[in-house]
Amino acid sequence: MDWLEDELRRALSRQDPPDGFAERVLARSRPVAFPARRWVAAAAMVVVAAGAAGAWREHRGNQAKQELLLAVRLASVPVHRVQSQIRGISQ
Amino acid sequence: MKSILILACLAALPVTAAPQQFQLNLDAVAAKASEHVDVSLSASTLQFAAKFLDGNDPDEAKVKKLVAGIDGIYVRHFEFKSEKAWSQADLEPVRAQLRGPEWSKIVGVSSSEDGENVDVWLRTSGNKTIGVAIIATEPKEVTVVNIAGTIDLETLSELGGHFGVPKVKAPEKPQKPE
Repeated sequence: MDWLEDELRRALSRQDPPDGFAERVLARSRPVAFPARRWVAAAAMVVVAAGAAGAWREHRGNQAKQELLLAVRLASVPVHRVQSQIRGISQ
Repeated sequence: MKSILILACLAALPVTAAPQQFQLNLDAVAAKASEHVDVSLSASTLQFAAKFLDGNDPDEAKVKKLVAGIDGIYVRHFEFKSEKAWSQADLEPVRAQLRGPEWSKIVGVSSSEDGENVDVWLRTSGNKTIGVAIIATEPKEVTVVNIAGTIDLETLSELGGHFGVPKVKAPEKPQKPE
C-alpha cells in the first residue's frame, strides 16, 4: 500500500499556481461594465454640470441686473430733481 | 519678447480697464452712516447685467440703451439716523478732486426748504463728455456717483422720474382771460 499512498500524496500535494494566476482570476471575476451605462452616466453629468452653470449664470446675471438698476436709480433721482427744479424756475 | 508683451499689456490696461474717474474716499461719511450702499459696476459687468434687462419693460429698455455707452458706474449711498450726523467737510476729499481742470460743474441746486443739495459735474475730453459726477445730499442721506463714459443725462433724468420719485409736472401757465 505504500506505493498507493505515495502516488496519492504526490497527486494531492500542494502546488503553487503559475505566475499571474491570481491577477487573471481577479480580472475575470470583475463585472463587465455595460458601455452604454457609462455613456448615460457621462451624459447625465454633462447635463447636470451645464444646468448648474446655467443656473449660476442666471443667478449672477439677475444679481448684476439688480445692482445696475439700484445704481441707475441712485444716480437718476438727483438728476431728475435738478431738472425738475430748473424747469420749475424757468417756467 | 515676453517683456514686450508685458509692456504692451500694461500700456493697454488704462484703456481697457476704464476705472472710476475720482477716488470715492468717503471713510469719514461711512463711519457715521447707519446704512451704506456701495455699487461698483465695471464695463464688463454692465454689459453682462444689460443682457438680463427686459427689453419689453419700458424702463429697463431705457436702462439698456443708457448703459450702452457707459464704461462704469460707481455709487456710494449713505443714510443717517440723525440730521447732524454728517457734515459738508466729510465730502471735501471728493469735492477737492472735482475742482480739477478736467471737471466742470454744470449745475448746483440747493433747497433751503428740505435741505437738499445736488451738484453735477461733467468730465470732458475735447468736445466729448466722458464722465459725470454727482453729489446729492439731504439731511439724512448722502449719495456720490461717478458714471464713466458717454451718458445721456436726459434719459437718466427721465428714469429718475420713474424710480420712486413721481414726475414733477411744471406748473401750468395761467391762461389769459379772453
